[in-house]
Amino acid sequence: MSRNFIPEETLIDQLLLDDTTAFEELYHLYCYPLYTYCTNKLNSPVDAKRIVRDVFIVLWEKRRSLPVNFSLSLYLYQEVRKAVVGCINEKLETDKDLLTIQTQVIPGFAVVNLQQAKRPVKKTYSEIRYLQSLARDKSNNTPWWNQQPAGIATLKNVLQKAFNLL
Amino acid sequence: MTTKILHQKANRYLCGAAMPAETRQIQAWLSCTDNNKAPLSEEEKTLIEKEILEEVRSYTAYPLFYPKEKPWWKKITAVF
Repeated sequence: MSRNFIPEETLIDQLLLDDTTAFEELYHLYCYPLYTYCTNKLNSPVDAKRIVRDVFIVLWEKRRSLPVNFSLSLYLYQEVRKAVVGCINEKLETDKDLLTIQTQVIPGFAVVNLQQAKRPVKKTYSEIRYLQSLARDKSNNTPWWNQQPAGIATLKNVLQKAFNLL
Repeated sequence: MTTKILHQKANRYLCGAAMPAETRQIQAWLSCTDNNKAPLSEEEKTLIEKEILEEVRSYTAYPLFYPKEKPWWKKITAVF
């Protein structure tokens, strides 16, 4: 959900129509998490900025060829992960920032540190509450034979919406 | 691990020629999201976002080709 409470799917649909506002909404949604991820991995804000910038430039350029059911978060994280490894490879090729890689990056490859990837992700209090509310909604689901019958108006609306979508 | 070994592993990973164990090691490292750094302030976050967005704008030049529509209240005020 964006800052304007527009669902992400709608923003992606608008992106296909060259809507720059939708693009910027999506950008604001993902920019900082991606930047933080890159900075943590590379210990270089300059490289992190470059990677995030390039990923969004490619997204804008590819906007008209996005597949159906496109998952933006998945796409962005895949691209950023690739770019992080690429950046390290490039630095090692050119012998740039070797000290930073030796002291900051290589210790991350130790088995002890890699164990963290297997641990479940810690959830924040708000996330836990949200998940609990979802579970409560599911448990309150009444079986179809106990549900209130839908009125003709509701049925008409649903059918009209489906027809409009077609 | 030395930088030389890391370079070889990263190179093989990018070329798609890494051993399964190497791939798993690199992917596990990429999946580690332990953040030991202090979070940035809201102002700093906004500044970084703005900086990157400006670079994206200047590279793609989309504000030039796809200018934003004026909001309705601006159009009305322009009439008067």
